[in-house]
Amino acid sequence: MAHIHLGEGSFPLWALVLWTLLGVGLISAVVYRVRKGGIKTHQIALAGIGAAASFAIFQLNIPVWGGIHMNLTGLVGILAGPLLGALIALVVNIFSAALGHGAVGLLGANTLVNASEAIVAYYAFKTLMGMDWDVFPASASAATLGLSAGAFLMGAIIVISGVNGSALPRGDLTIAVAGLVGLNLGVAVIEGILTGFIVQFLASVRPDLVGLADRDTQEEPTGVTA
Amino acid sequence: MTTLSNHVPDPRLITAFAERRDGPLHRVNPWTKVGVVGALVLAVTVFDRLALLAGLYGAVLVVYGLAGLPYRRLAGWYTLPMLFIVSVAGPLAFLEPGTPIGGALPTPLGELSVTWAGLVLFAELSCRSLTVVTFALTASMTTKYTDVAYMLGRLLPRPIDQIALLTYRFTFVMIETLEDLVKAALSRGANFSEFWSNKRLYARILGMTMLSAIEQSERLVKSMEARGYNGDITLYGDVSRPPIHELFVVIGSYVAVVGYAAVAVYGVGL
Repeated sequence: MAHIHLGEGSFPLWALVLWTLLGVGLISAVVYRVRKGGIKTHQIALAGIGAAASFAIFQLNIPVWGGIHMNLTGLVGILAGPLLGALIALVVNIFSAALGHGAVGLLGANTLVNASEAIVAYYAFKTLMGMDWDVFPASASAATLGLSAGAFLMGAIIVISGVNGSALPRGDLTIAVAGLVGLNLGVAVIEGILTGFIVQFLASVRPDLVGLADRDTQEEPTGVTA
Repeated sequence: MTTLSNHVPDPRLITAFAERRDGPLHRVNPWTKVGVVGALVLAVTVFDRLALLAGLYGAVLVVYGLAGLPYRRLAGWYTLPMLFIVSVAGPLAFLEPGTPIGGALPTPLGELSVTWAGLVLFAELSCRSLTVVTFALTASMTTKYTDVAYMLGRLLPRPIDQIALLTYRFTFVMIETLEDLVKAALSRGANFSEFWSNKRLYARILGMTMLSAIEQSERLVKSMEARGYNGDITLYGDVSRPPIHELFVVIGSYVAVVGYAAVAVYGVGL
């Protein structure tokens, strides 16, 4: 979640309703697929604690450009898959909004952006691994691709909606938003590289987590401690 | 040195305020607070005058103070919301058509100036965003853990409610895990001051945090299944309906916002 969230009240009412409906539509479709497939206990536990980890990681200040914060949505997508990844994005957005980060009224828009990051990262990672790429370049590229998709979607949402109270024509607004998208693309590359190293580390200690070994063959936990 | 950030609200501190303090807002029904958040979101979306938005923001700030919450910390927590405002409203302040303030600065791409309209837009967007941020923090810092968990269980459909409840429970555990990993690395002489030369160290710490989360989830599955988990994490708390006077406040807020929007913004005749 390298993108910059959209502030409360940034959009007119019709846009707020539109993005909320689209967000609800996406999450309803995911919930339907999850319920239809019969969700397992381990999936709920993974999604719940994965979201908690993603939320906790956001608390860490990364010293780039004066300090940036990451939720590692691309990593969440790669590890949890597209369906759980979308639900984790929603839950992290709800908790973030409760702490004043993000917007309550724009939960739909923010969930669309973050879910797209997780979904694109997952499928890109699967595709690249299927093409025999190594773990690091595959995960770094997949996460960068996913986060870039989220950045472009965020820009598109702002341009389509327009900014509340602004008389700026859409063309000029596109120029203003392009800078924001560019900044997010820069952060996407940093987060993508970091995701690549994390997945490489995880693959070395628990290859089953990234599909490099059968999950059932993993007998003992690694016992991670400080 | 990189540590856990102090400009992102720490959920442990937020929960401590909710559990240990006893201000006037701690005694307000949690459903009322949820209702007011909805009314504020609607208000900051439809209100179209800076004076009105500034007044609303001022009122919310007063409520924050009356709840006995610290203004100094709030100023620090505004860092990220202000960053979002600046990132969107900053460029717009220069591009917005209107009368320039104090002349224009010539650049190779043309004249650059902040207009009065741009400045007003920046102030409006700031008030819109900070109003809801402040009240969301107020509500979070005055609502007890069990009440938040109960409401998550009631408001969200399954399995999102189950995921949210586990997230809420384990957020505190994961923050402590991350903090322990950072402290352990520092005590071994790690240096976090520069990202690029320490990117593998960052990756290892964040990777271990994710790995710890996954392994905790695997242990949790065993304990949940041993207790006969059937897709329902039982909640023992209860949040009653709001008392009638609070209900009037919530309904009154919506009537006022919708009424103003209908008459002053959309021009509906009385």
